[in-house]
Parts: sequence; structure tokens; C-alpha cells
Amino acid sequence: MKNCLLTFPLFFASVFNINHYQNKFTPTEITGTIKITFINTIKGTPVQLDTVTYANPFSEKYTVSKFKYYISHIALAFKDGVFKESDSYHLVDESKPGSLSFSFSATVNTYQSLLFMIGVDSIKNVSGAQTGALDPLNDMFWTWNSGYVMAKMEGHSPQSMVVNNKVEFHIGGFSGKYSVLKKRRLDFPAGMIPDIREGRTTEIIIEADLDKWWQGPHDLKISTNPVCTTPGELAKKMADNYSKMFTIKKVINN
Amino acid sequence: MKIRIIILLCTCIGLYILFIGAGKKIPVVQDKDTAYTPIYLEFKIPDGWPKPPTDIFAKNRLTEPGFQLGKKLFYDGRLSKDGNFPCASCHQQFAAFASYEHDFSHGFNNSFTTRNAPPLFNLAWMTKLHWDGGINHIEVQPLSPITAKNEMAEILDSVLYKLKKDTAYPKFFKAAFGSTEINSQRMLKALAQFMGSIVSSNSKYDKVQRGEASFTPGEGNGYNFFKVKCAACHKEPLFTDNSFRNNGMALNAFLQDFGRMRITGNKNDSLKFKVPSLRNIMLTFPYMHDGRYYSIGSAIDHYRTGIITTQPTLDTLLLKRIAISAREKSDLIYFLNTLTDTTLTRSPRFAER
Repeated sequence: MKNCLLTFPLFFASVFNINHYQNKFTPTEITGTIKITFINTIKGTPVQLDTVTYANPFSEKYTVSKFKYYISHIALAFKDGVFKESDSYHLVDESKPGSLSFSFSATVNTYQSLLFMIGVDSIKNVSGAQTGALDPLNDMFWTWNSGYVMAKMEGHSPQSMVVNNKVEFHIGGFSGKYSVLKKRRLDFPAGMIPDIREGRTTEIIIEADLDKWWQGPHDLKISTNPVCTTPGELAKKMADNYSKMFTIKKVINN
Repeated sequence: MKIRIIILLCTCIGLYILFIGAGKKIPVVQDKDTAYTPIYLEFKIPDGWPKPPTDIFAKNRLTEPGFQLGKKLFYDGRLSKDGNFPCASCHQQFAAFASYEHDFSHGFNNSFTTRNAPPLFNLAWMTKLHWDGGINHIEVQPLSPITAKNEMAEILDSVLYKLKKDTAYPKFFKAAFGSTEINSQRMLKALAQFMGSIVSSNSKYDKVQRGEASFTPGEGNGYNFFKVKCAACHKEPLFTDNSFRNNGMALNAFLQDFGRMRITGNKNDSLKFKVPSLRNIMLTFPYMHDGRYYSIGSAIDHYRTGIITTQPTLDTLLLKRIAISAREKSDLIYFLNTLTDTTLTRSPRFAER
């Protein structure tokens, strides 16, 4: 009993001390987990690679064999500030289910908007060999004109008049007037507000609608543009379109 | 076998002492976070040379094991699809790391490259690589020849698979980077350490600059002519300003190679190619981006009489061609001969074994 009596004040003292220390010297924040999941669709229906033939807004038929894109610099905005994911580079690849979701710790808060970049910032494009999501092994790095392919879509279409009716979009270019780097800000709609709580996970589900590649600011028909594999005006137009493909579908506060 | 290994080991240690250890202070910097304590090497800038525009070793600190791993990779055929095409197959030390006597180099399955292989030296001063400047960092440069179907024709995954299967490589990677992990970043950084370390700065010209030798009258006349007529683009001491210029050659009808325009998409860059260094020029024939001139004489004649002056993007310094008399031409060739650096071409440090 004596021991117990001694332990209590010591316990309180130590907790107080630790808090005091943390507040003063290392402001650690209480965190929860954010899990972001991408669902790649065509007009709301999940994309099926190779097996399903789709029609674009111009009634051109096509299949999809590859669909991947970089999401970087993820940040969440709250009332008077922004939380940023550190070293935020993700390659979302429809053929790799594990790449469609990723998690990171975020400060406890309620957030109003999700911010991110589609592509890889210019600095990482000129800084030599990278690893992780930016590893050239991911087949998203050009070897003739250094830089990342920011988004890639490949498939086939009878409307494509190139070899094997290929459709091939490797969209890149990180500088100048044809830079394809796009920043997006998606506001969380009412009823879908991420409420990050200590030790809990909040899941944010984002839909990426591939159908938006064909239309939006620019009408891009397969018959006219079956291939885009260099930086330039067409790549920029494609990026203008696909930057509009993301919507927040669901937020689950667990 | 054992004896051979011992001899090899002794040779390695000997060479190490000879070229690195001897008389040189090596700063020892300790990484606090890990037990791995690399010994960093100093990249020495020759006296009187400009500092490299960016420090390629700033985020890839030069170490002896890193350099040795890079060298091993550079000479390893397994970086190519069929094992026949190491980096060194087109970049031969005796040719200052260019392809000797080849307009186009040979690649996988009896293919040709589409441009003349450039020599490899003084890359630490080069911010853009390739004739068209398409490669923006020395670390990502090897991806190009490794994956090109008419060069090494391999895929990166397979290269790493082969390296991981090898018994020696994990040890080399551990020595260079602190653990046996083999990944593309480490491989590319090691290659950059080897290639970036190649410096050519000990030709007769360099010795003359340092007061250790003197030009013959012909060489001296050639040098004076060079300074007036050539040095604007082939700027000393690197003998290039690393710019992209159109020197007035006809478009190669087969290759349809418009040079820098392919990278920038700007029609003002049509037919512009990187100004090559004139260092080791006598070893790097044939000349120009497509190796169209076999001899140094015909390359010089291009500037005298061959320049097509009607091309809209022709370099303004070449609008009237360059007046070169027969005497000046022969003096110039005497001078160009002084740019050959046999210290580099014979250095065991950069040699395969």
C-alpha cells in the first residue's frame, strides 16, 4: 500500500514532466491515420483491364491495358492551415491492387479539402536516380528525354490507325508552356468530412474516371490522336482533361 | 586459383595505395545514424578549371567502394540482354571512352546506334548529356543505352535480377552503400561515381598550361589560330561550352535527326547538336553526331568550305564559314594532337583490370 501511495504522485509527476518537455522542446502532435483509396472507373463502373470494350463520348470503341498515374504532394487543408504528407509520391497502377490504396499519419483535425499534384514535381525530374514510387523500374521514366511519365494509358481501338490499332498515351513534360503538372483541390462535400481522431483510421475514397480523358476542356478523339508519347501541346491537352477525372466518392471515419 | 586471387587482391591494394592512398588526405566523415562509416573521396578539380556547374557528387558522395562498384558495372556485359554489350563495348578507354573508328556503334542483334558514341570524360562539368541534351542528370544516363533496343536491349528488372543472383555483387553493394540491397538507384549512383570520376586533364596542352612542357612552333601557331577561330564554341579548358549549335551540315536523309529540336519541341533548335569537346579529338574519329567525317582534315574542311549557309538555324558565328589556309589547317592539326591525354587512356584506375 505504501508503494501504491508513492507510485501515484510519481506517475503524475512523470506524465506532467513528459508533457511539459514535449510542449516546450518537441511539439509532437497527436495523430490518426488517413487511408486514401483510388477507384479507377469508366463513368462510375470499375475499369476492367483488357477484357471489356468501352465507348468514349464520340462512340469510339476501346479497351484499356494499362492505366497508371502519379499522385504527389498530398495535403489536407483545415480552417487555418494545411497538413502535408512528407515525401509524398505515389504511383497508382490499376494492374497492381496494392498500389490503389496507401496510408499515412495525419494530425488529429477535421479537414475541408484534399490537395494533390497529378505527376511528379520538376525538381524530382532533374535530380538523378530515385527510388520507391519514383524508381525507373516502374516504367514511368523516359530514357530519351529525362523526366517522368506523369500518367499512362494504353489500350486498343478499331478507330486507331496505327500499328495493331494501338492507343498509347504517355503523358509527360515538367517545364515550360507544355508542362503537364496539375494541382488539384477537392473540397470534401457535406457529410463527407474527414475527422481524424487519435489512433483511428479515416478512409478517403477517390474515383478516377478514365472517361474524362476524352472530353472536358478539349475534345480528343482516338481517330485523330491514338498516340501521344512526347511532351507538347497534345500532352498538355490530355493533362487538362485528365486533371478533371478525380472526385471524392466517400469518406469513412472509423 | 588461390594464388591468382591473392595476386589480384595484392594488385587491388597496391593500386589503391598508388592512386588513392598515396600522399592524399582522405577526410573521414562518420554517418551518425548508421554503423556504416564510408570514407569519402575528394573529387579534385584541376588547377585553373572552373567549378562544375552543379556538384554531381553532392547527393552521391564519392567513395572508393562506390567507384569500384561503378567500374565493375561499367565493364559487365550482364547489363545487356545477351551479355555482349557492357557500357565499355562502345566506350573504350583507349579511345577516351568513345567508339574507336566507328561512325555508329554496334548494338544488340547486329544493330547500329543512330549517333556517334561520345567520349566519356569531364562529365562532371556537363549538365546535359547526349548529342541532343535529352538526359538531364548523369545518374539517369545509363538507363538510355541499357534499355535501347539497338544498344544493350535489356530491361532494368532483368539487370537487377542478374546482379542479385551474382555472388560478388551483394558484397560490392554492401561496401559501397552499407547493405547488400541491390536496387536501381544504387546501381545508377555507382555508375555515376565511376563515369563522373573520369577526368581528362593531362594532355600536352595541359602540361604547357602548367609550364611543364612547351609547344613546338607548329603547335603554338595552331593554338594561336584555335584561340581566334575555334575557341568561341570549343571553350578552354573543357574545349566545349556545352551549348547546342547548328554547324551547317546537311540533314542525314535516312536518320532524319533534327537534334535538339526533338527534346525542346522548338523549331529554332532544329539541327542543333551539342558542341563536343576537342580533348582527345585524335582518338574520337569519325567526327560529328553521325560520324560523317572520317578524318580530322575532312572535319576541318567542313568549316572551311562545307557549311550550308542557307540553313535558318545556322550558328551566327558560322555564317561566313571559317577562313582557314592550308598552312593554318596543318598547324591546327598539330595543336589538336596536343589534346590527346594518354594518362587517361592508359590509367589503370579506369581500366577493366
